[in-house]
Amino acid sequence: MSDKEKISQNIDKVQLVYARVLEMVSYVGIAFLAAGYLVYVLQLLPLSVPIDAIAGNWHLKASEMQQKLHTPAGWSIVSSPAELFKGDVVSNLSIYYLAMATLACLGFASVTFYREKNYLYTTIAVLQVVVLLVAASGLIQ
Amino acid sequence: MSSATRKILVSCAATSGALAFLFIAPNIVCAVPPHVAEQTAWWVWMILLFAFSFVLGIFSVLAGVGGGVLFVPIVSGFFPFHLDFIRGAGLLVALSGALSAGPPLMRKGLADLKLGLPMALVGSISSIAGALAGLAMPANVVQLLLGVAIMFIAALMIKSRAYGTPDLKEPDALSKMLQISGIYHEESTKSDVSWQIHRTPLGLFLFMIIGFIGGMFGMGAGWANVPVFNMLMGVPLKVAVATSGLVLSINGAAAAWVYIFKGAVVPLIAVPAIGGIMLGSKIGAKLLTKVNTRSVRMIVIVMLVVAGLRSLLKGLGI
Repeated sequence: MSDKEKISQNIDKVQLVYARVLEMVSYVGIAFLAAGYLVYVLQLLPLSVPIDAIAGNWHLKASEMQQKLHTPAGWSIVSSPAELFKGDVVSNLSIYYLAMATLACLGFASVTFYREKNYLYTTIAVLQVVVLLVAASGLIQ
Repeated sequence: MSSATRKILVSCAATSGALAFLFIAPNIVCAVPPHVAEQTAWWVWMILLFAFSFVLGIFSVLAGVGGGVLFVPIVSGFFPFHLDFIRGAGLLVALSGALSAGPPLMRKGLADLKLGLPMALVGSISSIAGALAGLAMPANVVQLLLGVAIMFIAALMIKSRAYGTPDLKEPDALSKMLQISGIYHEESTKSDVSWQIHRTPLGLFLFMIIGFIGGMFGMGAGWANVPVFNMLMGVPLKVAVATSGLVLSINGAAAAWVYIFKGAVVPLIAVPAIGGIMLGSKIGAKLLTKVNTRSVRMIVIVMLVVAGLRSLLKGLGI
């Protein structure tokens, strides 16, 4: 038996599922991040806030910059479908995607734990999903 | 030339490079009042940030620390961005590094889901609280506390001695209930190493504190996760390092949303930082066998002390 086969035998199935999902979402995330940034800085799409305005105010506190430039934050960046065609929104969405990557992994892990009848870890994984969903919903501010 | 001599020469070159970067770069890029920063084109800052993050990425791997812990104190000392945006970017730097390193470590059984999930659950809740507290505080107070935290981390790096595979007699009741134990294949000895843990309740409590600090300062928390796993709970060092990344990816994601909703994540700053650190980490991993990592660790400690002092002085308005 090869070393690789020996290692896989010792590892929970759920861990392998988590790794597979993580790998997929990470690759997509890195590509999305790079593409989104190029679209943004090369201004291939119109911007909701000009780059110079951001650069001229990045010494301010986040709340002060928001107040001054009326920059949307959180999910309000996609207040209408037209916003999806703005360079800075695309770049922001690539970051949101990255922040949601673990959510996808945990979702799949919860299902696999449940199928394995491991109810303790199903509960822990579901609770973790809830915590991340609450954070991503912007309910806690 | 012997391999030891080559290692020393490469380390000396790296040391000079790092110290030059640390002490010359500030004259170019730090002490940047807003009007000076405004005179410099934004893309120049982005290129500098990418280059800076790239170097940090190399050093973080060679020194065995996460990029996030170096990123926030050093960038906040030398760049014109407000600390809010640096912390937002720092969390994403730590998160993306942990995400990209995760899959192979999980497949090898080094990053352990059953060990990481309970710690991440308490850590992610407290990291949200930490992020809220950090963003509500005045910047000079956060800067001052950051300076204290960085000096503490530097001291921890000097003092701490990790144990490869701690000798553990009896697992505690909570770890048995949570089914936390495992086996990983040690390639150097070609043998399977089984492990179990103890002091789980205290470990959970400490992960709650670490999550809060990580969220507050926007730092990765590998510097604290690894000693708690390894020295307190008896997790083998390799498993501790790998599982720390898993915990970090979940805690970082939770706290990152607070920064996102407070407008403290600006892609213009965050993306070059993430790209630079990730690319630098890959180069660092390749250099790992060619460089004397003990010397690099000392350089990183010096970098942290300088950054910590700068942060303290900035926080005190000096």
